[in-house]
Order: sequence, then structure tokens, then C-alpha cells
Amino acid sequence: MEIKVFFFGILGDIAKTGFKHYRNITSFHDLEHRIEDDYPEFVHYTYRIAVNNEITDEKPDLKDGDQVALMPPFSGG
Amino acid sequence: MSENILIEGPVSQAVILNGLDGFNQYPDAGGISIFIGKVRNDVVSGKYVQAIEYSAYEALVIKEAEKIFSSVKEEFPEVKLIKVFHSVGIVNAGEISMAAIVAAIHRDQAMQACKKIVELVKVKLPIWKKEIYTDLTYMWKQDNLA
Repeated sequence: MEIKVFFFGILGDIAKTGFKHYRNITSFHDLEHRIEDDYPEFVHYTYRIAVNNEITDEKPDLKDGDQVALMPPFSGG
Repeated sequence: MSENILIEGPVSQAVILNGLDGFNQYPDAGGISIFIGKVRNDVVSGKYVQAIEYSAYEALVIKEAEKIFSSVKEEFPEVKLIKVFHSVGIVNAGEISMAAIVAAIHRDQAMQACKKIVELVKVKLPIWKKEIYTDLTYMWKQDNLA
């Protein structure tokens, strides 16, 4: 399946892009590994996940076309 | 209610004053509390903050703001209307980056609810800030832990 991943805050800086398409993804676990391979520096940061504009604290079951956002701690205000 | 939360650049006085317009339709609301947040010219490790650049996950900001507004209205049942404005993009030191306006039947709930809104906005809305210093270096701030 194909997943579009958005990188917010400092993660976007590290990735040097706001989003990236990942193809042939088999699971969320697989996606995590692919992201870690691309951006090993991410391991130094905490972030929450949103899938299709819904924040989740679980490892989500992904389906083709899902949009996943990686969100470091918020700092508005 | 929350579709106009994000404002490109600083939140102008005009935006805040226009935001007050809708409050006329609640004649039973006797108290309106307003919070205005500005970018401080802090000194960080000897560097002066020149500006803050805000970025946001817009679709989720709108969704989460609705949840915040609902929870605050539940906690403070006298609240009649809530409006929040938050900057995205560059806001220079001294300029306004956030405003919250809350109307309630009595002042106590208006002020308490306004304080609660501001606290929740800081920890619940997917907004990020980057401090830009006068030497044009920058640092991401990650200080609002939910």
C-alpha cells in the first residue's frame, strides 16, 4: 500500500521536506522502519502520530492511501 | 466556530476587534474575557529573539479546537461564545501571536474559561514554533507537553 507521511516541526527540518510518499508498505511497523532508515536522527525525538487527521496513541492498522502525520510536542501560544 | 483560528502573520488588532462583533448576539453574556499573547524579545543563551515562526497542521487544528471548545463549554456552562486566533508564519517580537475571547453570563466563568482555553490551546493544538534570533540562527521550541 502507499502511505503519505507528513513531517511537522523539527522533523520537517530534518527530513528537509514536509511530506513523503512511501510505497509497498505492509504495516505500520514496516512504515516505522522505512522512516527510521531514511531519517535515523528521528530516534532522538519524541513524536505523536495522527492518521487521516485523527491523533492516535495506538499502532494503527493502515490501509492504502492513508495519511500519517508525525508530530513532535506542540508548542503553540 | 473555529474555521478562522489560524491567521497568517501577526494577529492584528483589527482581527481581534472584528472577532468581538459576534458577541453582540448574546445579550445574556455579561462578561467578556480577552487574552492577548505577544512574542517576547527574550534573551536565550546571549541571543535576542527577533521573531517566532509558527507552523501548524491546519486540518487537525480545526478538529482539536472544536474538542477544546466543547470541553470548556461543558466545564463552564455559562460560556456562550469562544473565539481563538493564532498566528502561523513569522511574528516579530512585540507582535501578537494569539488571542482568545470568551463570553459568559458572569465574569468569573468568562475569566476562568479564557484561562483554560489558553492553556489547552498551548498543549492540544498541533502548532509548532521556531525562535529566530537576531543573528538569524534559530531553535525549535518544544516546551508544551500535553
